[in-house]
Amino acid sequence: MRRFAPWVASFALIAGAGVFAEVSWRSVRPSIPEIGRKDLEPTLGQGVLLGVLGGLRTVVADLTWIRSYVLWERKDRAGCEALMRAACALDPYSRYFWEHTAYVVGYDLAHWEIRRRGGYDKVPAEIQDRLFKTYARRGIDIIEEGIARSKVTTPLVLSAAQLAEIKLKDHKLSARYYKQAAEAPDAPWYAARICAQVMWEDGRRQEAYLWFRQFWISRMLPRDDGYPDDLKQLRTMEEVLGIRPADRIPRPSWER
Amino acid sequence: MKDSFQRTLWIARVTFLEAVRQRFFAFLMVLGTAMVLSSVSFRVFDFGHGELKFIADFGFGGMFFFGSVLAVVMTAQLFFSEMDNKTALTLLAKPLSRAEFLLGKFFGAWAVLGVFVVVLASLLGAVLWAREIELVAAAEQAGKIPTTFSASGLLEFVALQWLRLGVVTAIVLALSSLARTFLFAVVVGSLAVVAGQLQWIAQDAVLKPTDSVVYEAFLWVSCRLIPNLQQFNIGDALVLGSAGVPAGAVSTVALSGLFYMVAYLFVGALIFRRREI
Repeated sequence: MRRFAPWVASFALIAGAGVFAEVSWRSVRPSIPEIGRKDLEPTLGQGVLLGVLGGLRTVVADLTWIRSYVLWERKDRAGCEALMRAACALDPYSRYFWEHTAYVVGYDLAHWEIRRRGGYDKVPAEIQDRLFKTYARRGIDIIEEGIARSKVTTPLVLSAAQLAEIKLKDHKLSARYYKQAAEAPDAPWYAARICAQVMWEDGRRQEAYLWFRQFWISRMLPRDDGYPDDLKQLRTMEEVLGIRPADRIPRPSWER
Repeated sequence: MKDSFQRTLWIARVTFLEAVRQRFFAFLMVLGTAMVLSSVSFRVFDFGHGELKFIADFGFGGMFFFGSVLAVVMTAQLFFSEMDNKTALTLLAKPLSRAEFLLGKFFGAWAVLGVFVVVLASLLGAVLWAREIELVAAAEQAGKIPTTFSASGLLEFVALQWLRLGVVTAIVLALSSLARTFLFAVVVGSLAVVAGQLQWIAQDAVLKPTDSVVYEAFLWVSCRLIPNLQQFNIGDALVLGSAGVPAGAVSTVALSGLFYMVAYLFVGALIFRRREI
């Protein structure tokens, strides 16, 4: 029994260190970008693993991205998407990867799929439409994941809005994204205008006008030159909606 | 106790001097340095990351990759050169225990790795600092928020990397005590590093519920026996602040590294005590 005591002690020491490592791992886990087996498995043998081992994560992510473009040129749907997703997983803080992966999935993959099935003449229009919408939905899902994992949200929200508007043809969803982007502190100047336009085209004219009016008065009028082009759009809306002159936006001194 | 400490220190000193004179150390040092310095030239391959992040990643990669190679190969080489040249026999014939010999080897090799990590980190710090000045000036002109790096975070990261390499050295010494050939120690040591870097996959899997008791037991044992080396890999969060590091997390990881080192050195000493030289 005594003979085995040092071995038992050494096993206990290693196991003890392992148990403590679990505690320390839990404390640092949120600081390390997550990459799961599902991100790794489709890319095995392509060097992605090197990025997971330690350091070089950004570099491997960049090289993975370059490699994904080789597959993009070959129109290899599965390979291209897998590598692009791997680049996103390797560097989840990069807006570029999320945005472009979503664009490729949302805009390109449906076209590749239609060509694979025989082309635009052979594939029925309703199936084409379904494919466009399915891939657009997947693109938006990628952006949603990117919003949750990266630090840059507003540009990604705008990309989601664009995808929802152009490919998914879901104006309600698109307007919701544009609104979210417009109300963010780092919103670009055009987000509110497009939001109002999308709501308008969705048939919610009164709502579009009221929201855009409120936004222009509170957020745009006090800044820069007061955004005259947006006011012009608001005036057009007032005309179309037939709003009485007394209820319209008061005329600023600089308005022509 | 004091004599034992002195003997260990003496072996460590000799090991350190022997290691820094090796061409292999100089070669890896040059490669690591070239990697850190060339990071600025490789910026054209960068896709929308922060520029400092890209440069820092090159440095982290150099420290991880060349540091691991150095820790595995140099440690095994230092150990087996004593065995093959029979100098270990002469040394152990004197009042020097096998545990002291192994500890001396460990501290000597670990000190060399410390030099390696500090040199690379200093260079990385200098490159980051020089680029940060340019980026801050450019950002101020453009009215944007400049990206910066944390020097204290870099220091913490260096300490963690040194500890990680210490764990690798302890594992390689334990393996060398068992191995008959240098090649075996290097190959298995390298596999242990890869396994250690990927151990977190098993650690994450343990937390998920499963129906298979055998699978769960396998994961549990793997998590306890293979060291988690990925936990030392929080350079992005420490140096660039990409994600917050909870208070006390660095010291917890450091303590975990020390525990691993003690455990593997203990096993190594135990195996070495029974080894025929």
